[in-house]
Amino acid sequence: MSETYHHSFHKILNVRHLTENTFIVQLERNGLNFIPGQHLVVGKKGDKEFRQYSIYSGLNEPYFEILVREVAKGSVTPKLKKLVPGDELEINGPMGYFTLSEQRRQSHPIVMIATGTGIAPFHSWVSSFRDMNYQMIHGVRKSEEAYGNGAFRKDRFRLCTSQEINGHFHGRVTEYLKKAYFSPDSLFYLCGNSEMIFDAMEILKTKGMNTNNMFAEVYF
Amino acid sequence: MNLSDSERVKSVIEAMGFTPTENEAEASLLGVLSCSVRQKPIDKVYNKIYVWNRQKNHRNIITFVSGCVLPNDREKFLKLFDFVFPMSELNDFPNMLKNYGIVTPLSLNHSNSQLLEGGNKMIFPLPSTTGETPFKPIKKLNQNPDKPILPVNQDIFGLWNVKPSYQSSFEAFVPIQNGCDKFCSFCAVPYTRGREISRPSTDILDEIKSLMAEGYKTITLLGQNVNSYGLDREGELSFAQLLQQIGELGNQLQNPCWVYFTSPHPRDMSRDVIETIATYQVLAKQIHLPLQSGDDQVLIKMNRKHNLDRYRESVGQIRELIPQATLFTDIIVGFTGETEEQFQNTLKSFEEFQFNMAYIAMYSPRPGAQSYRWDDDIPPATKKDRLHNLSETLETISFNYNQKLIGSQVKVLVKDKERKTGFLSGYTEGKIVTRIKSKDVSLIGKFVVLQVTEASGFSIAGELVL
Repeated sequence: MSETYHHSFHKILNVRHLTENTFIVQLERNGLNFIPGQHLVVGKKGDKEFRQYSIYSGLNEPYFEILVREVAKGSVTPKLKKLVPGDELEINGPMGYFTLSEQRRQSHPIVMIATGTGIAPFHSWVSSFRDMNYQMIHGVRKSEEAYGNGAFRKDRFRLCTSQEINGHFHGRVTEYLKKAYFSPDSLFYLCGNSEMIFDAMEILKTKGMNTNNMFAEVYF
Repeated sequence: MNLSDSERVKSVIEAMGFTPTENEAEASLLGVLSCSVRQKPIDKVYNKIYVWNRQKNHRNIITFVSGCVLPNDREKFLKLFDFVFPMSELNDFPNMLKNYGIVTPLSLNHSNSQLLEGGNKMIFPLPSTTGETPFKPIKKLNQNPDKPILPVNQDIFGLWNVKPSYQSSFEAFVPIQNGCDKFCSFCAVPYTRGREISRPSTDILDEIKSLMAEGYKTITLLGQNVNSYGLDREGELSFAQLLQQIGELGNQLQNPCWVYFTSPHPRDMSRDVIETIATYQVLAKQIHLPLQSGDDQVLIKMNRKHNLDRYRESVGQIRELIPQATLFTDIIVGFTGETEEQFQNTLKSFEEFQFNMAYIAMYSPRPGAQSYRWDDDIPPATKKDRLHNLSETLETISFNYNQKLIGSQVKVLVKDKERKTGFLSGYTEGKIVTRIKSKDVSLIGKFVVLQVTEASGFSIAGELVL
């Protein structure tokens, strides 16, 4: 990766709470350059615990954002939740390979599949690249967890809700995949928990999709 | 990697006038390069420092720790060691000691400055008469709140510029890359070593040229992800291009040498790397390609960023382009949630890939790693059984391979003398351990040709061909 590597402190500009336990932390850009889809290692300034977060915001914003879900009894996220504008985070990165080259997005339909906060890198993609031919399939429990869905075109966004019936599809994202049709030249990008990624890949394989066209970013 | 780091530490300390000793009781400066890949080495560091700190009651010693240290351990080490610093700050170690009041090795002994061996040794008889340390306290590293907690890897260039004090006259280790961006869920290295940084290829090639010219017989390129080399630096050579340049050096100098590398990551194992190894004689025909598990679901949970198909593709290319290559791997058994079926898939992968050697570890949660937060739910007895089963399979596969070598002649680098038998030992280009029916220690560090007469699970034996 040729992007400038950062290891510095960044001030928090804003914290937006989306649900009871999910929030977006907006930070000063402070020269940070990245490729949409990359992630950062993030910790509270002076703390010894760090976690990885995909960048949620687009490339052209004057700030950058991360999407955080609080983990009960977690050692990082409860501290992040209490942060307020002006507090600082230690940021290491950007890094990672879950990126989408211009060549790929020009020459293939892109299918993005996410569960929960796994939508973050895709949100960064669609906020950065206006020329994508894509479908976004987002699996959540309830429709309130459709984080950042406003960034996606309505006709290209499918919300799968497992505990409510008010999404586009009632059931897990894997159930949706079993019923969906995909063009054989599609590139599949999956982001979320490891069980979903494995199950989704198996389903796509049974549909005759090429495993070389599947790319995954595991969230824990 | 720690061996290579230690050669650079030794070089810096020797430049200050110290000399090494095998006898810990004689040493005045004691240090550890720690490793955070598993918990056991870290536990050993704690054991060591408690012993050393007790000794401080009756002799003057200075202690330091560096290497691969997690932020939480670093915090604890700061209270136990006199100096805690990342390897990237090694160059500053002499200044740290000076600030501590130690200008020369003699400063460590105020009452009795007699040296044990000559005038520039680091070994001192240091009975303290008062039990008090004569040194002024210093502000320890990482206590500055504005200093980042995570390692700043850009500083690693200073370490690489230190000319190492090589521990062997025929085997050398050359760091080419440091850090890891892969974030395997079982591993804490990204938090201890920082992100992937490549050493400038001109420096690497200079060091290798010099080692080849000096007649070194093996050179091992080191890094946490060697084949990610160059990805972080625009305009830098790729790993395949670096190997190609090394291959050209080998052709120019014509000194017999085997160049190895460890460890590569399957994700970045490209066909052009394998083609380059096949092309150049100096590039050893042995590949260590860590698989970790033979089950795709476990690989995803490990966040390995490769699946079995990707690994299979690389092994297929190795078999196609370098049929004589031996293949080594790393495996973790009993990873969180690993089912019997998933373990059986790993067993099957051994049959499929026909590994010559595998470093098999039972999973243990590592503080700082992602998986540390998950249940370590595979009982120890099951992990042991899986380790045993896999080791037996490996031994059978390796034995079958080794047996086919009986009757052939192989080139061997003589490395050592076996303590029990007095016979020589060494290894082939494929790193197969070799016992040599000769007691001629003058052959150590030299290539010999061996007629293979015996084979066992993990080694071969034979007689010298004169």
